[in-house]
Amino acid sequence: MKMKLAVSVAGLGILLGAGPALAHHAFAAEYDANKPIKLTGTVTKVEWTNPHTWFYLDVKDSSGKVTNWGFEMGSPNGLMRQGWTRNSMKPGDEVTVEGSSSKDGSNNVNVKAATLASTGQRLFGASSQPGETPVR
Amino acid sequence: MASVTGAAKRRQASMAAAAMLFVMAGPASAQWLKLPLPGTPRLPDGKPNLTAPAPKTPDGQPDLSGIWQADGNRYLENLAGPGVQVPMQPWAAAVYKERQETLGRDKPQIHCMPHGVPDAMLVPGIPFKLIQTPNELVVLYEEFNVYRQIFTDGRALPNDPNPTWYGYSVGKWEGDTFVVETAGFKDGTWLDNGGYPHTDALHLTERFRRRNFGTMQLDVAIDDSKAYPKPWKSATINFKLMPDTELIEHLCENEKDVPHLVGK
Repeated sequence: MKMKLAVSVAGLGILLGAGPALAHHAFAAEYDANKPIKLTGTVTKVEWTNPHTWFYLDVKDSSGKVTNWGFEMGSPNGLMRQGWTRNSMKPGDEVTVEGSSSKDGSNNVNVKAATLASTGQRLFGASSQPGETPVR
Repeated sequence: MASVTGAAKRRQASMAAAAMLFVMAGPASAQWLKLPLPGTPRLPDGKPNLTAPAPKTPDGQPDLSGIWQADGNRYLENLAGPGVQVPMQPWAAAVYKERQETLGRDKPQIHCMPHGVPDAMLVPGIPFKLIQTPNELVVLYEEFNVYRQIFTDGRALPNDPNPTWYGYSVGKWEGDTFVVETAGFKDGTWLDNGGYPHTDALHLTERFRRRNFGTMQLDVAIDDSKAYPKPWKSATINFKLMPDTELIEHLCENEKDVPHLVGK
């Protein structure tokens, strides 16, 4: 009986941890909320497009090797309603991203928050990170 | 003396109005994101009065017009309510189980195809606009720029219609409740994000009630004997008004997730 309870509590934890799914695509089908990732790099491109905004950073690892990573956010519509504009982030800007790693091992990250080095402004990803209001 | 005071008061009032306009209009780029819409009841500080009575049309019906979004995502994953199990035909149960187990990997929206009804209205932050006219109510769903027409001119649902993604809708008032009957769906959409399937036999009844200026409720009855042995009902879905704003274009032009959807 005790074991059953422990199992169901653990199950609930997973359920809660999984959080709401995106409606355009399920967050948990693509990203792992239990694999947080934090990267800093230089913006190479911004795609201010529906259904999702993407931006790309050149990220240098400890050996000096540079890799281009893709970062997915919510729709521009959701981002604008949270205070972003299409000019909030431009190629050449230095940005630190907190987000979730992809499940397929690709260099893609779902953005929880992005902080601009020049202003210190921390903007949220308007996607569907667990615990946040989903904005598709 | 009295006239000087009056002039001063008027000047003060016009300055306050100008200040309010400036604050509400914001920078030029945000003029459609935040702007004072006419017909909005307001509090003394100029903010929308969301608890004011629901507006009425000239013929005395409640007016559902406005931009709405789901008030929370409580029913997004299970339209019937958290933990509620809806009895399904065996094939539908198998489809539903697969959709649950693969975390919604194959839902139509991933391929930029339409969401179902009421799924299109269940996500907070994705608004829809209702425009009520004497002979029809138009629904504009922001996501994917899609629309529905709910005819209120007394026509009946068509016999043997060409199946469509959003079906054919007629509406009528029962007291303060707007009742919408919809049939003629193409199968393939999901009723909610959790993946309730339906067939072309689906007949939906949506019951909308505007509680006050800022809130609206919806109950949905689902009748599809090919997928569900008995008709069933949604939980009551709450919507809140998004005042002083407009819909924004949303075309699915840059879909990049499909190759990365692991699904487990």
